[in-house]
Amino acid sequence: MEISDTQVNGIHVLDVTGRIDSGTAKSLEDKVVGVLDGGAKALVIDLSKVEFVSSAGLRVFLLAAKRLKAAGGKYGLAGLQPPVREVFEVSGFSKIFSLFTDRAEALDRLG
Amino acid sequence: MKGALEVRVRNSLDELARLAEQVEEFCDAQGIGPGIAYNLNLAFDELITNTISYGYDDQAVHEIIVRLAVANDTVEAEIIDDGRAFDPLSREDPDVDADLDDRQIGGLGIFFVKQFMDEVAYRREGDYNVVALRKGLAARD
Repeated sequence: MEISDTQVNGIHVLDVTGRIDSGTAKSLEDKVVGVLDGGAKALVIDLSKVEFVSSAGLRVFLLAAKRLKAAGGKYGLAGLQPPVREVFEVSGFSKIFSLFTDRAEALDRLG
Repeated sequence: MKGALEVRVRNSLDELARLAEQVEEFCDAQGIGPGIAYNLNLAFDELITNTISYGYDDQAVHEIIVRLAVANDTVEAEIIDDGRAFDPLSREDPDVDADLDDRQIGGLGIFFVKQFMDEVAYRREGDYNVVALRKGLAARD
């Protein structure tokens, strides 16, 4: 799993590639925590190149959501592939996160 | 068409990617669609993660056996480990309607297994936990 990190108009964008499973979720968590500890108040995680997410990944997304809500920040996930989207639906996470079709929509709506 | 796969993984979370790759190749060869391959890999990830995280009292290397078999319109799987006796189905479902402030992750993995598989069963055989899964292939998507 790889993560690239950019900023667009003050919004932190993490672009993830690969699988977010129990083996890789810790690296994602470390990256997300690092970005938030660095003071980021707006975060988009682009999942368009992520083909697998399990509950370990959802845990990281939830952690980020709670922290950003507490900080009055903005947060969204973008580009979920259909099977990943289904995981979000079944778990009820699609109701508590902002899910965008793609990065551009996320940046437009959160900016 | 019948087919079977057996994969043995060590009790280490970084084995999940290797298992997933073999499951995907097997499903592809059997004409099983990627959606069902995902469901299977999700179930394996969740169950095996629980086993690795909570199942052993020692620091030793343990083997976890995953078996897949395709017959007619179903795919059946078994996950066999020699960890302490634990029935994953005994956990309560999470509250999927909770709002962000109240939402937790506990129990979500097993919930996914029950949601995405048609049948899930646990049994203890001697020193082994055996979780059996079944998924219908009606559409062979």
